[in-house]
Amino acid sequence: MTSELIYNRIINFSINEMIPDRVVVYKSQGIKQEPKVSKKINDLYDHALSIFTQDVEPKGILKEISIPEFAEVFQGNGENEENTPVQHIFPLADSLALFAFTLGKTISDTISGLFSRKDFALAYMLDSIASASADKAAFMVEQKRDKSSKTLLYSPGYCGWHISGQQQLFKKLEPGQIGISLNDQFLMIPLKSISGVLITGKKEIHNFDHDFTFCAQCTTFSCIDRQEHVIN
Amino acid sequence: MNILQQISDQIDLGDDEKVYELTTTAIEQKIPVKQILDEGLLQGMNIVGRKFKEHEIFLPEVLMAAKAMNAGMELVKPLLLSGNVPMKARVVIGTVRGDLHDIGKNLVGVMLKGAGFEIIDLGNDVTPERFIETAKAEGAQFIGMSALLTTTMPVMKEVVDRIRSENLEDKIRTLIGGAAVSKGYAEEIGATAYCYDGSNAIDYLNSVI
Repeated sequence: MTSELIYNRIINFSINEMIPDRVVVYKSQGIKQEPKVSKKINDLYDHALSIFTQDVEPKGILKEISIPEFAEVFQGNGENEENTPVQHIFPLADSLALFAFTLGKTISDTISGLFSRKDFALAYMLDSIASASADKAAFMVEQKRDKSSKTLLYSPGYCGWHISGQQQLFKKLEPGQIGISLNDQFLMIPLKSISGVLITGKKEIHNFDHDFTFCAQCTTFSCIDRQEHVIN
Repeated sequence: MNILQQISDQIDLGDDEKVYELTTTAIEQKIPVKQILDEGLLQGMNIVGRKFKEHEIFLPEVLMAAKAMNAGMELVKPLLLSGNVPMKARVVIGTVRGDLHDIGKNLVGVMLKGAGFEIIDLGNDVTPERFIETAKAEGAQFIGMSALLTTTMPVMKEVVDRIRSENLEDKIRTLIGGAAVSKGYAEEIGATAYCYDGSNAIDYLNSVI
């Protein structure tokens, strides 16, 4: 990722920095490291990674936004849950930035093509590498924002922020510039893309309990790891 | 070692070329096609399924075995059809309308095929009409639906409601899965079953057919 992040800019990522940790990819597939990962799986990972580095076209876009401006974006079409963590966090932020990132269209096409050719294991491994890579991009940007404060990315479709919020976010951020569009169901195309708001502030603002109504349906609780990372 | 045992072993090893070669030989030796399927191909996948459940192997290895199974099935399936040998059951699968995430659905399809079910994969962004019309036209006993998004989950209910309104509940059963859904949601909309992964779907289907 080149230079410090500033107001409204396209960010170019190098392909090497987008390569996720092998252990993270294996963990996402439920593969245990002990006693040891089979040669078959390690060879499959190496093969998938060589395709990944060939096909990935990582690009991000970031735009600073004021608290009142973001309040409008967050309101979206008025379909958010009544009580959400983000509504309590963003008014306390030192700074906010809308962010979107994509791995590009080629990688998604390659994954689909591999499935069509019945190369199931390779398709699955490549998909897992791509997902871990997109998460890594968010983490890298979070780390880069402001070293004296703590930044986390919050996204429409999670934690009570209705996915229709993508519409307002896209209007303000214009990620079409890096090739991301939305479909009727507010899904990002290419699929291997992420978006949201980077909220920067004191670490305490990111601390919330997991007793919102929607937490009962959550299957990942990925917020816990993310929170722990900034709070501790 | 007999050739069916060799097919089974090579499926376990995930060697698609070997399985293709051995299945060709088994057919040339006039071994009944149902026997090749049951004692060679499915036997191999059963071993793989057991190892997966016991965490001896992981999903990528199951998928390699499934590719090998597919190589054998390419040869066996036309013979099964021409001999009127029935598959275990026919299942229509797809990711529901508005949703383009199909990795999970693909994995379930691959695993079900490997377990001997006939899969009609409609892809992603599938309308309720298409699920039901395909199931009716193909005589499928099951519809499997996947959704990653909470916004697309209601399409599953549309399918279940339509099956009910057309009095097809005894003929077509509905399975749902995907990150957005849960056992509770399946109960709420009246889907027949919630399957959290491919292995779980195989267990459910084997228990009801």
